[in-house]
Amino acid sequence: MYWIRTSILVQFYGLSTVHMSVKNLGLILGFLVVIAACSKNQKSEPGPVEHSIDRQAMLINYADNIVVPSYTAFKGNLDFMVKKGDAFNANPTKITLTEFREAWVNTYISWQKVELFEFGSADKFVLRSYFNVYPANEALINANILAANANFDLPSTYTSQGFPALDYLINGLGANDEAILSYYTTAPDATKRLAYIKKITAQMNTVFNQVYTEWKSNQRDTFVSKVGMDASSSTSTMVNGFVRNYERSIRSGKFGIPSGTMFNGTVSPEKVEAFYKKDISLTLAKTAHQAATDFFNGKNNVGIEGPSFKTYLNALSATDSKTKGSLSLAITDQFALTEQKLNVLPTENLNELVKTQNELMINVYSELQKTVRLIKVDMTSAMSITITYTDNDGD
Amino acid sequence: MRNYFLKSTHAAPLAIFRLALGLILFISIVRFWSRGWIYELYIKPTHFFPFYGFDFIKPLGNYTYLLFALCGISALCTAAGFLYRFTSILLFLSFTYIELIDKSTYLNHYYFISVVLLMMVFLPANRYFSVDAYRNKKILAGQIPKWTLDSLKLIILILYFYAGLAKLNSDWILHALPLKIWLPAKNDTPIIGFLFNYPWISYMFSWFGCVYDLLIGFLLWNKRTRAFAYSTVVIFHGLTAILFPIGMFPYIMIVTALIFFSAEYHLNLINKLNIIMTLPDCFIDPKAISYYKKSVDTLLICCFVVFFTIQMLMPFRYMLYPGELFWTEEGYRFSWRVMLMEKAGYAQFTVKDGTGKREIVNNTEFLTPLQEKMMSAQPDMILQFAHIIRDHYTRLGFIDPQVYIDSYVALNGRRGKVLVNPQTDLAKEHESFEPKTWILPLNDEIKGF
Repeated sequence: MYWIRTSILVQFYGLSTVHMSVKNLGLILGFLVVIAACSKNQKSEPGPVEHSIDRQAMLINYADNIVVPSYTAFKGNLDFMVKKGDAFNANPTKITLTEFREAWVNTYISWQKVELFEFGSADKFVLRSYFNVYPANEALINANILAANANFDLPSTYTSQGFPALDYLINGLGANDEAILSYYTTAPDATKRLAYIKKITAQMNTVFNQVYTEWKSNQRDTFVSKVGMDASSSTSTMVNGFVRNYERSIRSGKFGIPSGTMFNGTVSPEKVEAFYKKDISLTLAKTAHQAATDFFNGKNNVGIEGPSFKTYLNALSATDSKTKGSLSLAITDQFALTEQKLNVLPTENLNELVKTQNELMINVYSELQKTVRLIKVDMTSAMSITITYTDNDGD
Repeated sequence: MRNYFLKSTHAAPLAIFRLALGLILFISIVRFWSRGWIYELYIKPTHFFPFYGFDFIKPLGNYTYLLFALCGISALCTAAGFLYRFTSILLFLSFTYIELIDKSTYLNHYYFISVVLLMMVFLPANRYFSVDAYRNKKILAGQIPKWTLDSLKLIILILYFYAGLAKLNSDWILHALPLKIWLPAKNDTPIIGFLFNYPWISYMFSWFGCVYDLLIGFLLWNKRTRAFAYSTVVIFHGLTAILFPIGMFPYIMIVTALIFFSAEYHLNLINKLNIIMTLPDCFIDPKAISYYKKSVDTLLICCFVVFFTIQMLMPFRYMLYPGELFWTEEGYRFSWRVMLMEKAGYAQFTVKDGTGKREIVNNTEFLTPLQEKMMSAQPDMILQFAHIIRDHYTRLGFIDPQVYIDSYVALNGRRGKVLVNPQTDLAKEHESFEPKTWILPLNDEIKGF
């Protein structure tokens, strides 16, 4: 308690020499005594208070220790996948198919750690739309293969490219590898189909590199320099992007829509992520959720935490005035609860789970919904940020 | 008392007030128009939130531009004192019509302007330094009843004083909320920004703001403290203009507070203006005294007494409602409660009917982001929106649809809570002045006014 009082006085004296006349001293001193008295009642935990309402430090940590390294890691996976795709293209065999598929799985998992950066360049180039809009549109994909001239820059083609389209093409065409391979070897449109795979990986590569190049050049500096809190500031766009991704992509996309919790109660097991591969849906969801948790905590890819939403909330002393509960703690607790619900899911195959034990899917959705409330309402309100995106669940 | 109402005072302050108010309203209209807000706020939305009892106020579509043009022109005419009786009524009606179209755009200072414009209709503001008085020397007068000028000072005093009273609550005084939330977000402001990192500065701002609002009206009224008080008006409102997105409000208050200054001060202004305008002396310094007719005078004074009684009671009407005012917002508007809450909400509606139809409503299909944001945290708007949903889905073939809400609202840093009973079928609830029983309690008390 003593510490708090002196620290305020130190701050005050430091200030008084610069800005305040001696005349006001008595008045302000009076104020301070009362404030100190009030603070006394409020603080229950001992130890130093984090006093860094420093958005720039937070932005630097997010840019340099999280966003750029994660993109670099993803780029490694993506490059490898493109290479394996090319190898499959050059010589479609069971071995090249297996290797391509393995690379696809690893890249898809790696993608879950970068999808949430829906701000800055990724937002500008609508990165997510080119990579992960599912369910894939089989009819459109097959039509595009035959036409061989699809314009992948059109939003109407989003469901025919990216990871979900590859999922269909390398996992969904037949019951086993032989059957799938036949589409690339003996089928009449085999070359066209191979060309389409090439087209998809090339598009992913191009769009991602636009985003990556920007972050490696001027995006980083622009990002850390916009320290304000207006709608176009980095903190505001980052919080909006983070919350939007959590709400739409994790809550609605991975659980809400397949389980039928979102739209008129219609269960849609075919709308799970990685529908054709079947056995990685839960891993993708867990990875995405862990990435969101780590992002909130400002944890980088080697497990070290830096300035983050969490430390920023703590610096703002975001606590409930009645219960004295820390908001950041409530959020991390809620992340942990959600993780628990994810961990008890008995199978990777969420498609199957929707059909057999949908209540488990709904349980996860309910926990995710509680997190959405905390980050969308409590966190933004405590930070004085306005949610600027409109939540349409249509995409 | 009787003597008081017989006193007269120089007409210059009221004339300058008319001029300044008209001009600043004209500027506000131009600003509003040039930012595209007429379209954004009054034409683009497909649904609106009228005030209870004012459902007959309808959005005008593209004619809204005409309404704003009318408002702007009548503001200029009022400023000039041209066809004053007619144009001041037009100004009051057009301005108030605009403000009544949609609750989402409600601001206390718009209400303040409507109130002042209503008063201005009845005040002798065109008797001096006006086109009307220039054209018709019969109405030209140098003196007007003192109470007419004082009534404007009184409404400004009420505004400030009640704004100060409203700050005497535990959130504002004991927790420095919501400033403790808002100020750190401004810590990148040049020069003074770093100060906002310290909690004590939020306390200082809160306490100073409260004391300021309570006293400023009196300090302006008192001749000895006036100059000092006015300089603080400029500094205080200047600071709020830098820190918060409150548009024209600071400037309006800076201009309206001029009315407290003496007749000499205003005459001085008029003489300076007259260097350019070179109007004859008999116009600048008329000897006539303006009176209302005896019967009109009595009636008007009675009306003003009733009006002020209502003004002074209105902010306390919240006491007739159970529950926490900031939470239920029953009796919150029209009470000079300014910048008291950081409130954000989340509202997801489900509509279903007896035949098994069920749908989650996409709010953005009906509302603009601003409307959705306002609706999410305000119970009366939630009810209005529930009825919009009910009517829409009835048209889509739902039979007797039920509307339920999953709501979650955070108020002044408190952990978010459910605002509306999720079991209540809002389609069946009606708006009225009765307490809304479907609002769940905050389970916390904000002490004070």
